[in-house]
Amino acid sequence: MKASVSQQSLAHGLSMVSRAVSPRSTLPVLANVLIATDEGRLRLSATNLELGISCWIPAQIEEEGAITVPARTFSDYVNTLSGERVQLTANMQTQSLNVRSAASTSDIKGIDANEYPPMPAPDLANGVTFKAGELKEMIQQVAFAASTDEARPVLQGVMVSLRDGELTLAATDGFRISVRRAPLAASLAKPLEMIVPARALTELARIAADPEAEIRLHIPSGRGQAIFRLKDAELVTQLIEGNFPDYRAIIPRALKTHTILTTAALLAACKQAEIIAREGNNVIRVDVRGRGQEPGVVEISAQSEETGNSEVQLDANIDGPDLTIAFNVRYLREVLDVIKTPSVALETIAHNAPAVVRPVGDENFVHVIMPMHLG
Amino acid sequence: MELKRIRILPDDVVSQIAAGEVVERPASVIKELVENALDAGATDISIEVEGAGKRLIAVADNGQGIAPDELELAITRHATSKLSSAQDLFSIHTLGFRGEALASMASVSRLTITSRRPEELTGAYVRVEGGQVREIERYGGPAGTEVRVEDLFYNVPARLKFLKKDTTERQQMIALVTRYAMAYPETRFKLIMEGTRALQTSGRGDRREVLAQLYGVDVAKQMLEVQLVDGERRVQGFISPVALTRSNRKEITLFVNGRWVQDAALVTAVLRAYHTLIMVGRYPLVVLFVDLPPQEVDVNVHPAKAEVRFRDPDQVFSMVQRAVKRALLAYSPVPQVTRSFWPASSAYQGWSEPAWEMPGETRQEELAPEDGFDGDAVDIEGGDVPEGEVSATAQPGLDGASPLLRLVGQVGAAYLVAEGPDGLYLIDQHAAHERVLFERLMRQRDSGVPSQQLLHAETVQLTPHQSALLESQLNLLGKLGFQIEAFGPNTYLVRAVPAILADRDPAAAVRAVVEDFEEDETPLQGELEARIAARVCKRSAVKAGQILSTAEQQNLLRELEQCQSPRTCPHGRPTMIHLSVDLLERQFGRRGSR
Ligand SMILES: Nc1ncnc2c1ncn2[C@@H]1O[C@H](COP(=O)(O)OP(=O)(O)OP(=O)(O)O)[C@@H](O)[C@H]1O
Ligand SMILES: [Mg+2]
Repeated sequence: MKASVSQQSLAHGLSMVSRAVSPRSTLPVLANVLIATDEGRLRLSATNLELGISCWIPAQIEEEGAITVPARTFSDYVNTLSGERVQLTANMQTQSLNVRSAASTSDIKGIDANEYPPMPAPDLANGVTFKAGELKEMIQQVAFAASTDEARPVLQGVMVSLRDGELTLAATDGFRISVRRAPLAASLAKPLEMIVPARALTELARIAADPEAEIRLHIPSGRGQAIFRLKDAELVTQLIEGNFPDYRAIIPRALKTHTILTTAALLAACKQAEIIAREGNNVIRVDVRGRGQEPGVVEISAQSEETGNSEVQLDANIDGPDLTIAFNVRYLREVLDVIKTPSVALETIAHNAPAVVRPVGDENFVHVIMPMHLG
Repeated sequence: MELKRIRILPDDVVSQIAAGEVVERPASVIKELVENALDAGATDISIEVEGAGKRLIAVADNGQGIAPDELELAITRHATSKLSSAQDLFSIHTLGFRGEALASMASVSRLTITSRRPEELTGAYVRVEGGQVREIERYGGPAGTEVRVEDLFYNVPARLKFLKKDTTERQQMIALVTRYAMAYPETRFKLIMEGTRALQTSGRGDRREVLAQLYGVDVAKQMLEVQLVDGERRVQGFISPVALTRSNRKEITLFVNGRWVQDAALVTAVLRAYHTLIMVGRYPLVVLFVDLPPQEVDVNVHPAKAEVRFRDPDQVFSMVQRAVKRALLAYSPVPQVTRSFWPASSAYQGWSEPAWEMPGETRQEELAPEDGFDGDAVDIEGGDVPEGEVSATAQPGLDGASPLLRLVGQVGAAYLVAEGPDGLYLIDQHAAHERVLFERLMRQRDSGVPSQQLLHAETVQLTPHQSALLESQLNLLGKLGFQIEAFGPNTYLVRAVPAILADRDPAAAVRAVVEDFEEDETPLQGELEARIAARVCKRSAVKAGQILSTAEQQNLLRELEQCQSPRTCPHGRPTMIHLSVDLLERQFGRRGSR
């Protein structure tokens, strides 16, 4: 293999794929990045067997071929190069890669590309297309609610369902749930449901830089994988098997108190309270007090033995009986972080029943948080 | 064993012996008889109890026996083979010395002694009732002695009234035999209580084996070994790690020169060693055997020989405390990295005095002076660091709070490196976080632990046995923030978990807690609570391998500093290792050798 690429696009490509590298794997080749010529471009790939990321960068190819080199060493080295172009030459005899740029040159030891796990090739004719910007926003609004607990793999995933002309993303960690819907441009022949690791979707959102671009999803049959194809990149992920909780049944209906607040003000109040509360299990109390004709008041208070206590009062539009309810402030702050509308609705039933948080004027997003119980 | 004849003690000796009640209850009968058997050099002792000791207590041994012509003397008051002059009273090598035990028993029961000396063909049998000899006969059975005490207190009904419930008396007898079995691991003990075997030991000399019979295998495994030898003086035994405690001090057992004694001062010495490592109101499990030259112990102070007096009480006190502390330190508080951590080099030998002292460095003399602890226990490797060397590496506040720490960074995604006033500290992030969470949870449990409700109750399926255990602890679990409801046979719904467990699998957490119950089904309530709390914290603490942001690292250090016992995790493992400035300077050859 012999190719010449721009230092900038090589560095960018490496940073994109390196998130899929698994440095501590028992398979040494997985700590490497695959560099291969591919129809006039250079393909960079990395995988940890659960998640694989590839990207293509423009290149002048003199000789076809492929090699793998340690991702960390290679990308650190490339980042220091000052030359505009980088010349890559693989020596198949020694399985090493010569990297040359301006006055620098180095030989990096690698591993035979044949040892690298093969990446599936998507059947691009067969798939669904999303707008990158929209999918990215959906992911950001949902993925954070997934669990990080390895013991519950299903909850580490995001339920992606395509049915009735709608795309729905849902994630839950058992204490809160985030559900976001969007109309589908084209209806599918048959509905599709799959659990995609939240981490893979977060990576997808990260590499989908251009909001106007298209993302094409393809599910190769019988492999338990999903492939997301962007213009210059591709992400392959294993799907999670199992039963996702029935989120439709969890979202409460008979809500009693409707409280409308300014999103930014509530978010700021939560951030303040969190500083006090984080040493004491993150508990905050939310007092909702309607005052007839006058605007209502929501008081957010936090108290911790270690840190002290704090209170903030916010004006609110309240409809329904007064109520005091406690939350893990992190849950509240995290959802407020992804609500884009200026006003947010907090809808409650009782101090021990699920509470709904939703953007005012956007029917497509709903988030449910279970309250805390104070001793 | 040298043979001595039984003789009546001269009056001047009798008058010097602590007088009083010898036999108060069935357990004291067993104690006297077992002590006699041990004094007779028995390697096999079997004890039989019926009717909670009121019907029968029989103790048979394979010891040196009693000659037929001495049998009557044996049950005579003040007749003993173990003492002859008043002088002997100051250096007692045997458990008995007053010649009183058999006589007292004989006066309050129907007593028979059957005995044959191993070197003789025949022995004899004597039967006494209310102190009167009824029968003496020749006998040719197995060598050794069997004493049967029947119908205890039949002729003193007032005494019977003072006995406790049968189950309590039985427990006391079992506790007593078990403790003697542990004190004498080379002797085989067998206890048959109401026809069933309550205890049997192998006599192979393994104390831990007996410990397992006393506390169960799991607890025995956790117990730390104590071993301190100082010339002829010795402290040996077992102590519980800081995470294993009881709500009273009953499980502190002390033997001095082979006898089980009550000694408030020594109990205090033990508790001092645990000071701040365990919570107020909690007590460790301790079995200690203190051995001293006989001249240093006066055993002639209590009628039931349950107390002793030391010639130098302070010395014994500090030796016991040191022994316990050393064992605890070896397993828990900030372990010191000693010189042996690095390859020994002759160039380093003989640096006994630091050339100068760092500001803030605390010398040995200033260390916890209230308890006389002299700091040499700090050397966890033991032995190979010469005396005097240690003072330079001893750290301040051994059993106090954490030093103020300045974060340096994280290594290996598992440890934090910090600088204290006296050197470098390595902190185990998981253990440290466990400690922080544990203290928080234990603080909150009175006001109510905040609990996080679940969106969707999780079902947990248990075995019938586990369900019964869970059922019996629902209240306690509720106090710690779990909300669990029965839902069909052996099935439970988890509705809420302690807030610190949010992010983890609630069903798995409940299962883990139930498994803890299974391991030890009869812990005391207070301990159980701490155990569940410790388990909960273990699950929710940051793991090794988790990369922490600088803010998280700093936060963890700050929270650790505020802990009451920052140096151990709730399971008793150390949270930090200390490398003193002095040690670093020596290692770099900056100190002492010029
Ligand atoms: N199991 C035994 N084997 C051999 N000799 C025994 C045994 N039990 C008692 N004796 C003899 O009987 C004597 C009297 O026993 P007793 O228990 O009454 O007094 P003691 O052991 O000498 O002193 P103390 O009253 O302090 O126990 C002992 O000194 C011992 O010589
Ligand atoms: Mg005796």
